[in-house]
Amino acid sequence: MKLSFKPSPNYRSPQSTDSIMRDLTICLCAVTVFAVVYYGLAWGMETGLRVVLLMVTSIVAALCTEAVWFMATKQNVKEGILSSYGWVTAIILTLISSVNVSYYGLAISTIIAILFGKLVFGGFGQNIFNPAAFGEAILMSSFAASNRTDLMTTATPTMVMKGSNWIATSESLAKTVESFGGFGKMLLGGYTSTIGSTCAILLVLCLIFLIWQKDIDWQMPVFYIGTVFVLTAIIGLAKGAGLGYGLFHVLAGGVLFGGVFMCTDPVTTPVTIPGRIVYAVGAAVLTVIFRWRSNFADGVLYSILLMNMLTPAIDKLFDGNQIKDAGKIRTRVLASTLSCLCIGLLIGMFGLKTTAEESTSGAAAPSAEGGAAAATNFGAPISLGNDFKENRCEVEEISNDGTQAVYHVTARGFGLIDPDGIASSSGHEYKRNEAEITIDLASKTITNYTLTVFGDTEGIGDLATTEEAQQLFVGKGLSDEVDSVTGATYTSESLVAMAAAALNAASGN
Amino acid sequence: MSLFTGPMNEHLDGHKELTAHDEVLHLENPETVWIPLVNGAAPCTPLVNVGDEVKVGTKIAERNDHFYLPLFSPVSGVVTAIEKKMTASMKMADHLRIQNDRKGTISKPFAPIDYENASWEELHEFVKNAGMLGLGGAGFPTYVKYANPENVDLLIINGVECEPYLTADYKNMMENLKLLKAGTLAFHKLSKAKKACVSVKEDKKDLIEKLKETFAGTEIEVRTVKDVYPAGWERTLVYMLTGKRYDKLPIEAGCIVNNASTAIALGDAMLNGMPITKKYVTVSGDGVAKPANVVVLVGTPAHDIIEACGGYTSDDCLLIAGGPMMGSTIPNDQFVIGPASNGLTVFKNEPVKVVKCLRCGKCTESCPSGLEPVRINSAEKVKDIETLKKLDINSCIECGLCSYVCPSKIDVTEGVRRAKRYMALVK
Repeated sequence: MKLSFKPSPNYRSPQSTDSIMRDLTICLCAVTVFAVVYYGLAWGMETGLRVVLLMVTSIVAALCTEAVWFMATKQNVKEGILSSYGWVTAIILTLISSVNVSYYGLAISTIIAILFGKLVFGGFGQNIFNPAAFGEAILMSSFAASNRTDLMTTATPTMVMKGSNWIATSESLAKTVESFGGFGKMLLGGYTSTIGSTCAILLVLCLIFLIWQKDIDWQMPVFYIGTVFVLTAIIGLAKGAGLGYGLFHVLAGGVLFGGVFMCTDPVTTPVTIPGRIVYAVGAAVLTVIFRWRSNFADGVLYSILLMNMLTPAIDKLFDGNQIKDAGKIRTRVLASTLSCLCIGLLIGMFGLKTTAEESTSGAAAPSAEGGAAAATNFGAPISLGNDFKENRCEVEEISNDGTQAVYHVTARGFGLIDPDGIASSSGHEYKRNEAEITIDLASKTITNYTLTVFGDTEGIGDLATTEEAQQLFVGKGLSDEVDSVTGATYTSESLVAMAAAALNAASGN
Repeated sequence: MSLFTGPMNEHLDGHKELTAHDEVLHLENPETVWIPLVNGAAPCTPLVNVGDEVKVGTKIAERNDHFYLPLFSPVSGVVTAIEKKMTASMKMADHLRIQNDRKGTISKPFAPIDYENASWEELHEFVKNAGMLGLGGAGFPTYVKYANPENVDLLIINGVECEPYLTADYKNMMENLKLLKAGTLAFHKLSKAKKACVSVKEDKKDLIEKLKETFAGTEIEVRTVKDVYPAGWERTLVYMLTGKRYDKLPIEAGCIVNNASTAIALGDAMLNGMPITKKYVTVSGDGVAKPANVVVLVGTPAHDIIEACGGYTSDDCLLIAGGPMMGSTIPNDQFVIGPASNGLTVFKNEPVKVVKCLRCGKCTESCPSGLEPVRINSAEKVKDIETLKKLDINSCIECGLCSYVCPSKIDVTEGVRRAKRYMALVK
């Protein structure tokens, strides 16, 4: 008989780090299943399967990295892996990537995330940066070129809004929301973005589950998502787009996913509730500023990474006794959150572009007559003699009076799903671009170019469809070049391809 | 609780069903008792010599420094030795060993008092001479609390018993409602408080009903608190009942807090002329065969009580003097039940999987003192004196909640203790 000694207390909560990570994994799996089903149904089995394979690639890369690390540092491999929770990082990293990332890009980013984002700092619990965000930053900055471009070409909501500089006007907002099937569809997640960030309802359910299980605080996600909404809704109201502008900011991109799964990462965030509120508000304001003013379509990732760096400072700010120093804590929370909000509001009010000033959106700038709108920026020229097989043009002769012939040309678009579109290799039906092109049969040059159906992404592709851009084709033959429009390369190419198809038809090719 | 703090408490599974509804076991005839000659950290002077005969109620020792506290014999028999022994708070102290002659001869040390008609001074003197002390665990002489009652708004008789597993106070109250009523009314009179209440957890429905019956027609209210830990700690209880915080003593918030079993002991002294010789003690946990509440004499060794409850269930056990949150494990079972003991918790010693801190902050959210245990632990690791000074470590009462909630199963409370010890050396 032995009576042992252990320091008090000798009573422990049934909750463990294992159970927290288990709940988190369950939620992430639910999000993954949704993504697989959505991509499988909307974009074909192949794409659905790709989500699964990407996930497997990342998890395997993460676990292998950890296994090697624990072997190299002479630790118990099984125990090390089970208490390092690398799979959570891998799943989150995959879910915040887009479906067309390359397998090797994802694998290398995962390895870097696990090794340099976590293990070298001392492993689980010691890392400064959210490892998944760290890995995604690597993936975006270093492996963008390896993305599969033929797989998916629809723009995400944040990219579309970025294309119009996040203008807060009601018509531009309504148009963008409409192109994704309305707010209802955005809530249900029937559109493409990063793999895991679309279904708002599912993400909110995950949030409720995790809070109910006491795995995360309610303060962080609520303050993060709430601040994004309040800040953008105020700007929306001030600029005429209304509350819907705030709702769009919350539903589009990674705000909900980041708010539920990344802001709440306990390791890289402050340990006190006031600290977490400051962290969440700071990250939210940065997210919105990055969206408005940076080169990135979405700002969630970098806002989280930046706030990770401030975590030790925030922790220091709130060192003390939460009861005795309550007044001081309240002052500091209010001072720091309100100043963040003010900065956000100022930038929103004065830094956000408006339609009247310098919009480059073709849709919102109809007064292109006489070249009055000098908004179109032309870039690298495209030769009409190129091979445009990828654009899959179909030509139909409408009239031919011996001197002039009019052709109706359709080409594969780069916009949204359209049941009447032309089948692409991925089995998906894209919306088409259509044009009527008149050709002078003697000189084999174009005399008129009229785009009749625009099937690409509004806010991006329509930069290339201004009358000014269409005028470029007049007088051009197969041996000429046409300037492409910066920021709308795919649409430019589609337009050129149609012109080439008509010219080839006129030449009897 | 506000927007900027966590709940500062936590609902624990109390496992009170193990012992709450069973018969109380009476073990009031031990062969030998050892009376610890200490009160808190202060030694008590023996008033008897080896070889002297004593009766139940004979004054055998007293504390006589700046406080006065008499100790009385719980048995009749012969004093056979004064020997050093470890107490339930793991300190060596002199104990009076008394051999029980099993005759139970009683010599009442004082006469009963009619508390309703006695003057305030008479009543206060009675409490002092009857050796009343805080039975909730602190063992602080009771009369001191009532020495200068001015502007007391609320007297709180604390029957919350928030330690998991312990049901001794509950049982004591259920069985001694008459004594509780007398003691509470006397304390109310002593405190000159505007209001008085008996406070218990809201889930104790049967007890609440009985208390309401008992106190019907008196000024005493029955007030309930949420079933959370540490609702029974003075500061938390005062805050829950009044919304007030205080710096050092509850009187700053206009409150006096006394344990319910102390009120019962006072009732016993006033009505029956009996000093504190017996204790209700809960013996519970998965390490003991038959968990039960026992009534034992002060001075009974833990070993005898565990034996009476069917012995240990495992070859490797943790024996805890008190409840599992604040009670400390003691690696031998020869220590005795003191007047302030209220439980023995026995667990099978099972390994705990400890992982690294994930900085979840649950310890900062649950800390009833408003501390940041995770910050204290990391500052202690690197001996960051400046930060430790800011973190107000001496407000920690070692309630154990930070370790309880820790999902990584780190001994967070022990880290704070280390920090306290380190800072005590630095100063």
